Amino acid sequence: MYRYDRKGPKRGVALYSYSAEFGLTKNLEDCFEDVCDMGAHGIEILANTHIENYPYPTDEWVDRWFRLCDKYEIVPVEYGHWIDSHVLGGRELTTEESVEMLCRDLRLAHRLGFTVMRTKMPVINGALEPVENWREIISAALPLAEELGIVMCPEIHTPSNLKGKMVSEYVDFINKTGTKNFGLNIDFSVFRSRFGEGEWVDPQYKANEPEDIIPLLPYIYCCHAKFIHMSDDFEETTIPYPEIVKILQDHGWDGYLLSEYEGADKYDPGYEVGATLRKQHIMLKRLIGD
Amino acid sequence: MEREVIQSVGFRNIKENGEITGFRFKVRLPYYRGVYLSQLRPGTLFVDGEKIEKENIVWCLGGEDYTNEEMAVDFRTHWTPTDLAVLKVKKPGGLSQGYHHLKYGYCFTSSYMPPMMQESLDPDKENFVILPEFGHHVNERTLIIV
Repeated sequence: MYRYDRKGPKRGVALYSYSAEFGLTKNLEDCFEDVCDMGAHGIEILANTHIENYPYPTDEWVDRWFRLCDKYEIVPVEYGHWIDSHVLGGRELTTEESVEMLCRDLRLAHRLGFTVMRTKMPVINGALEPVENWREIISAALPLAEELGIVMCPEIHTPSNLKGKMVSEYVDFINKTGTKNFGLNIDFSVFRSRFGEGEWVDPQYKANEPEDIIPLLPYIYCCHAKFIHMSDDFEETTIPYPEIVKILQDHGWDGYLLSEYEGADKYDPGYEVGATLRKQHIMLKRLIGD
Repeated sequence: MEREVIQSVGFRNIKENGEITGFRFKVRLPYYRGVYLSQLRPGTLFVDGEKIEKENIVWCLGGEDYTNEEMAVDFRTHWTPTDLAVLKVKKPGGLSQGYHHLKYGYCFTSSYMPPMMQESLDPDKENFVILPEFGHHVNERTLIIV
């Protein structure tokens, strides 16, 4: 299996970025090749989207998965999945049912060579707070995660704040349990400091400063390199990328920055998300120096 | 797979034991991730303006037929966006040769969002805010029966 041994921040792509094209004009191999063109070595998939016959892919599909990773020098970095507690309209899943769903994903992520999962907890309000039984669900899955060598990481995304209650509750949980199998994925939307004129901004949102990430670094196993607008001279105009990447390098953080493009314009006819991703990777390549 | 939710391939009458009992067409899932069957909210179909209730439509996924009641409680069968669903519509005699206008509403829950967002979902009406990532609830297309 392909290995990429570079230390420090490394480049990757979240295949979610291709959501407007996947299955229509691009298949999985097209996405891998696009990432390879960028010289990036990490990918994040969404299990429910990119795995054929999810959650029960055939052995043939899994063999093909590893062949694609080898051919395009790709490391399976992050397995995006959901704990779907609200999946039934009439009632919530019980803790046991949610744990069953989570353990099934842990096994499948391991089967595909992933070591980090972006574990999406079902939220209960606009502040994106997770279901009340999240500690029970995660605790029950920790032994299996440890056995398989996987870290489950909720994503911290705007309007959440790195200094907010939710993050401190996750960190408390990690410290109390002493687990190495639960951590964080920081989405760089939390650092967004510039908005377009007249653009709607969530009233709960307060931008984090790049240095706010420092105390959390020991718990961060992956980042979503969210970007909003790339200029034609390859700079991100809304998020202070040079400062963020420098902090990660100066503090010896080792992990993947997974590009994630979420702009609704990617659904416009003729839009090419590949071009947008490539522009961001020119910036990241320059900042990282790879 | 075509960009339109209602696909042109797969539109034909259903013949059972030499008799035409209805027709079928395929839809895609216009969402960035797959859904469990319990997340689906099937709505009403209009064919050339004639209303067909959802009770007369069976969803077929992965070769298996599901009634609305079966789908509502099935949170283990998953539909991936790269697969198409076949909708089988009961209509004795089927559809006549020529053009037909199909208008079909269906939607799905975003099961990780706050549950209160699920309650206002209506498959036959668009959401107040249309997000391209979630597609349209009501889709229309004119197709030909040969």
